[in-house]
Amino acid sequence: MGVTAAMEWLGSCSGCEIAFLNIGEDLVPLITETLDLVHAPLLMDHKYFGQCGEGVTLEIPDAVIGIVTGGVNNREHLTVLRQMRKKCRLLIALGTCATHGGIPALMNGQDQQASWQAIFKTVSTDPGAEIPEVEVPPPLDRVYACDEKVKIDMQLPGCPPNPELIAELLVAIVEGRSPVLPGKSVCDTCPARREGRSVVGKVKRFIENVEFDPGEPVSGMRCLLEQGFMCMGPVTAGGCNGGEGVPACISARVPCRGCFGPVRKNGNQLLDMMNGLASNGIDFKSVVDRRSILRFSGAHGRLRPLKKRVAKE
Amino acid sequence: MDFEPKIIVFCCNWCSYAAADLAGINRMQYPHNVWIIRLMCSGMVHPEFIMDALSQGADGVMVLGCHLGECHYRDGNYRALDRSDMVVELLEDFGYEQERFHLAWISSQEADKFVEVVSGMVNRIKKLGPAGG
Repeated sequence: MGVTAAMEWLGSCSGCEIAFLNIGEDLVPLITETLDLVHAPLLMDHKYFGQCGEGVTLEIPDAVIGIVTGGVNNREHLTVLRQMRKKCRLLIALGTCATHGGIPALMNGQDQQASWQAIFKTVSTDPGAEIPEVEVPPPLDRVYACDEKVKIDMQLPGCPPNPELIAELLVAIVEGRSPVLPGKSVCDTCPARREGRSVVGKVKRFIENVEFDPGEPVSGMRCLLEQGFMCMGPVTAGGCNGGEGVPACISARVPCRGCFGPVRKNGNQLLDMMNGLASNGIDFKSVVDRRSILRFSGAHGRLRPLKKRVAKE
Repeated sequence: MDFEPKIIVFCCNWCSYAAADLAGINRMQYPHNVWIIRLMCSGMVHPEFIMDALSQGADGVMVLGCHLGECHYRDGNYRALDRSDMVVELLEDFGYEQERFHLAWISSQEADKFVEVVSGMVNRIKKLGPAGG
């Protein structure tokens, strides 16, 4: 049997698990020979409180490799994450939610109480709706990335992460070598033609079409950012193409959305993107809803509710 | 106890740092709340420096450079100017008041202007209160 591994999902959409299952042919030897999955709520039947519910404490079996996906949004996630840390020797944060907050962390950008009110108590909801308090784990004050709560040994971002990279990471760990993961930005791996200046001095909205010749490969297309589209390639970690080839969104002739999070661990996508625009003479005010640039990296206190301005006397 | 703000001042080597130096040589009085960091040019202040300073306990950040057109590197301070508009806008996104950032041009002989600008900033931040509070 292989190395024991436990998978756990916190506040996530199961896209990372689907990416894991999407490894393809290599998946079969990976889960039959290389790894020995002992716990994975989404993929196999292993329950927290004993198989028939006879247990009283949350139990996750000991494992060498632990894989967590999703951010920490409520108390339950926190308990499960801490349990995973206790039981696994090596803990991997898989996917952008686990590494940088991901989509759920967009919630950090607005007042939490106001959000609950809007979700449960506005006119469009059933009359008498209450914010649930029983049988639902209480939310934390904001959405956290895993490494804000426990020590994380390895990270692989992506929404979803590239299946090839997941396989590479796991195989490398079992073989005892360091994994070969891309460390460059999306721009560094993008073949689009760059001429060094923007065509228009401002950012276009994506209701206009990108100019390209469908018969030509991406290398014949002008850089999308230079065409004036809000491509987040410069501030986003590469890897969506599995290390080589055209970045996933660019290959569909669509600007990068920034799903792999910042290039450096502590990077700030919003700040870096705005700095890039401002230093290159593009009007940063033409960016609509710029805070949503942090749509994938809103944890670590990056995205905060707007402060209400106190009226001057 | 009165609130004593901590203000990080990025000074360029050629003009504003020399002005701060001159203010010291002339024994001019200015508030002790400023921490001066010397850089080669105001154009090299990445917005991340400013946000990092604020998030790690500074209550205000100033960038002081040469007068426009007098940059030692020709256009460094124009870059600082382009960025400062953006920084001021973005401060609110990250939960800080716009007044916490200030950009000014000070030549190497304007020790009095340095004292005036710095004292003005300290007074404004004192009224504003601590960052993140």
